[in-house]
Amino acid sequence: MNRLVIAATALALAASGAARADSVLVLNSEDASYSILSRSGRIELVRLPIGREPHHLMPTPDGKEVLVGSTATNELLVLDAKTGEKRRVVRDIIDPYQLGFSPDGNWFVTVAYRLDHVDIYHADGFKLAGRIFIDGLPSHMTFDTDSKTVFVTLQQTGRVVAFDLETQAIKWNVEVGKAPAGALMLPDNKRLLVALTGEDGLVSVDPKDGSVVGHLQTGKGAHNFWPKGDGRHWFLSNRVEGTVSLVDTQDMKVTATIKVPGGPDCMDITPDGKELWVTQRFLRRIAVVDLEQMRVVATVPVGKSPHGVFMLKSGAAPPGLVPVRAASTAGEQK
Amino acid sequence: MRDLIDIWVGVQAWLFESLVSPVLFRFGLMEWYEPAFNAVEIVMLGIVQILVIALGMRFFEKRWPLEKTDNDDLVAVDRVYTVLNKLGIIPLAVFMVSYPITNEIDYLVRSWGFVPPRLEQLLPWLHDSALGSFLVYFALYDFAAYWLHRAQHKFSWWWALHSLHHSQRQVTAWSDDRNHIVDNLLITLALVVFAQFVGVQPDDYILILMIGRLIESWSHANVDMSFGRVGERLIVGPRFHRLHHALASPDERHIQDHNFAPVFPIWDMLFGTAIYDGKRRPTGVDNPLMDADNGRGWLVQQVTVFGRFVRALVPRFSRAPIQPGLRPPAE
Repeated sequence: MNRLVIAATALALAASGAARADSVLVLNSEDASYSILSRSGRIELVRLPIGREPHHLMPTPDGKEVLVGSTATNELLVLDAKTGEKRRVVRDIIDPYQLGFSPDGNWFVTVAYRLDHVDIYHADGFKLAGRIFIDGLPSHMTFDTDSKTVFVTLQQTGRVVAFDLETQAIKWNVEVGKAPAGALMLPDNKRLLVALTGEDGLVSVDPKDGSVVGHLQTGKGAHNFWPKGDGRHWFLSNRVEGTVSLVDTQDMKVTATIKVPGGPDCMDITPDGKELWVTQRFLRRIAVVDLEQMRVVATVPVGKSPHGVFMLKSGAAPPGLVPVRAASTAGEQK
Repeated sequence: MRDLIDIWVGVQAWLFESLVSPVLFRFGLMEWYEPAFNAVEIVMLGIVQILVIALGMRFFEKRWPLEKTDNDDLVAVDRVYTVLNKLGIIPLAVFMVSYPITNEIDYLVRSWGFVPPRLEQLLPWLHDSALGSFLVYFALYDFAAYWLHRAQHKFSWWWALHSLHHSQRQVTAWSDDRNHIVDNLLITLALVVFAQFVGVQPDDYILILMIGRLIESWSHANVDMSFGRVGERLIVGPRFHRLHHALASPDERHIQDHNFAPVFPIWDMLFGTAIYDGKRRPTGVDNPLMDADNGRGWLVQQVTVFGRFVRALVPRFSRAPIQPGLRPPAE
């Protein structure tokens, strides 16, 4: 009976358009699909096929489109940033595991985790400026605020490498700790934070020369950052510990720790700043964290190994959607 | 269905986070974090497969046997092979040896500037059909496995290894995993490189292995059952594959050089190696040296068959003709 009520509610939401005004896109990295969820209904509206092994996504500088890296098919899938509809495919982008635009929008960079190279493109037309082969599983990246340098973490060798975007030359290549993953250049352009998945926190690195200038304990398997939106606090997922830390980057301290089981990874925050949505890689779910209560209040079932997550920029979802998955309550959470 | 998925991934996550993840973290092996999580699922699927064989297939074997069997001791060693394989012990050993090799091949290919093509570039509709994509990759994978199986019979050194699989006189659902570890390694290397080149998705790869191995266990079952006239031409069944294990006779010297296909018999039909005659034949090998595998334990089989392999590979080590009987197979 309970399920019937959930299904009826979901159908009503979808039909009324209430669920379509606030959709969330999730990449099911081992299902070759992406899900569109209703944020308010906390249900999966539809699951659509996409290139194989989609891991990460990135909105274009104009905010109109979202690029999804399909690593096994060497392509970028271009989706509408409002509806999540597929628009076109950009071919011959090799193993685009992680992708990013420089702040000025002139450079587009991909890191090939499986194939060990960093590709720097002119963002206009995706023309390859340089491919740099580098051992050690390049995994995440961040840019300096003046768009001159991209910093890439090497998960296997424990190093961070700084590349000059214009010349594609290596500025420095420094060991920072075990399994560095998420990287974050702070707005002051003076500190680079690097999450250490092989350790229990992050290190603060001087972007000029890569020297480690500080350490902050957050949780085992510190992995990925997401901004809270105030320019000071960032969320950091701790995959092994099964938590998300809220880090005050000004005072360099953890101000809150939220339990999110199942290998929490990528995150996005709702436009009203009230909820953080976190992919639970191992549980095939998305956790919804209430940021007032600082706890998981619901989880939404999706596909296998959900990785990237993105709040669609309102507007209508693709037509003809019917809900296929309902959310569990926090009490039912696995 | 979602409840089942939640139970399954709940168990998988619990096993991983309790047993595997702490070890990876402790020893600085976090780059294996995701693959290790998938490995836990492979072991869980292996346990399911063992249960399906022990409870399901064995029931049919006892109820409707194709061949009367009288010596259960001969089958005992095949159970050891199955458990070692399905629980991931042998696959892990094989992976540890094969990974650096396949990785090196990957680097070499890239250093030549070659990017393996992806089927989706040739067949864009694969993007929009998960089932279609899976079936195409499954068929390709099976095609490669068919030709590798032919090679196992064609080359004397490879036959020296593969003959262990054929030496069983009482072929049952447990027999599929009865292979020499070097044979496993060679097949794994070839199939992984093939999968890398055609771009089989990891999740598809696991599913292909699981479904494929289950069908192969069933095709070895000593069961007098058929998928029907049409079904037998779509999927390999026990009658079809039993002919491949048939004991050679003066009239049928190369009977084992037929019905090679692991899953889809179409490859045998296309390449002229299919036989559908419905005759019942005893199973095993006609070579006394190889037949002596029967009655030996796992370790002794591994050691003696390795010796057989070395003698076939390096003829000067051979003290006696490796194949005094009716082999080698067809020219």
